[in-house]
Amino acid sequence: MNQTPRTLNRILITILGLKLMLAGGIALALALVPALAGWWHAVTAQAGANLQALLDSTTVPGQRDSWLWIVVSLVLLLLVLLMIAWIAQQGKGRTGTIAADFDGDGAPGAVQLSSGVAEQALRAALQERDSILHATVTAYDYDGGGALRIRVVPRLGVSPQAVADEVSDLVEALDLALGMSFPVVIHLVAGARSRLVRADRVR
Amino acid sequence: MSHLDVDSDRPAHERLADERLANRELRSSRATAAVIAAVLVSLVSLYLLLEAALKALGQQPWLALPEQIASWLHQLPGNTSPVILAACGALILLLGLFFFLQGVLPGHLHRHRIPGRRGVVVVDDEVLAASLARRARTEAQVTREQVLVVVSRALVEVRLRPTSGTPVNADAIQLAVEDEVRRARISPVPQVRVFVSSSGVVGQ
Repeated sequence: MNQTPRTLNRILITILGLKLMLAGGIALALALVPALAGWWHAVTAQAGANLQALLDSTTVPGQRDSWLWIVVSLVLLLLVLLMIAWIAQQGKGRTGTIAADFDGDGAPGAVQLSSGVAEQALRAALQERDSILHATVTAYDYDGGGALRIRVVPRLGVSPQAVADEVSDLVEALDLALGMSFPVVIHLVAGARSRLVRADRVR
Repeated sequence: MSHLDVDSDRPAHERLADERLANRELRSSRATAAVIAAVLVSLVSLYLLLEAALKALGQQPWLALPEQIASWLHQLPGNTSPVILAACGALILLLGLFFFLQGVLPGHLHRHRIPGRRGVVVVDDEVLAASLARRARTEAQVTREQVLVVVSRALVEVRLRPTSGTPVNADAIQLAVEDEVRRARISPVPQVRVFVSSSGVVGQ
């Protein structure tokens, strides 16, 4: 429901994992198999020579060091900024406006519906139910519109189907009241509150 | 999960949208691993950035010149104790394996989807287990503490300790729990197994 970039997460994590496995594998192999040392020296010597040639060719006459170091610094800086941007993408997507109508019936002005309308109406109605210990409602941006995520802590042992039906009733009432319907996720959780009551189970 | 009977009268695109929503709810987003990976890469990059910037500005290095790091890598098996090198290698390998598996495994959360009249309904396995335990308990007429239900993706395990002197009919409990599972309309339908322990509980 939130806009965590799941595919990107998986791709980047997998790439990082493969690279670390390669590095760790080489280190482990060098430590355990002495015969590989010769191969490692040859490979790294070749790479080092290539790198030195590159650095020499990019050194401006009269300067001590290659200007490539500046480029490397900038690339690393960019990488750090990208990582920060990636972290900022996690779990975002909550919205304060669940619906907006800019063209409407032709009257001047626009109508915006704060997500608090749906959140508070639903939460108040849910908290009156006996089978529900606690409920939170959050609005998210989803597919260009709003969507509601209803998190319900039912009393332990209540049939989930019955709770789901109760919540569905309330959501349908909200649909009628607002005159529009949003995608809805109803999540029944076993929260800390239901654990305070002696538990019937262990997962 | 298109075989959920409630869904059958709804238009295909709505069902597809629900399916997408449900899949997001049933699988891990890998946000934690992503944040750990990003922090790790950032820290390494920041250190290299510092050394590269010092080099670019012609200043003294902080810990080591980039060339020194490179030559240390070049002389690797000879310049450290093999035990430390092997330990570090194994550690990095395990870290890489953790990230790789996080990226590749499906990451199912401990939840089931049940059909709902409105919207997508997902239920934590704990909630499901509690409702099944209640049904088994009333069927066997025992107390809360005598029933333990474990719900996993394709299996429901009911462990029951009967009260001494009051025999418990395992088949009846099996049927009751299966009925409850059917009523919750979990998909895929898990298999139900009932274990009645041979030793009873005294004085319940």
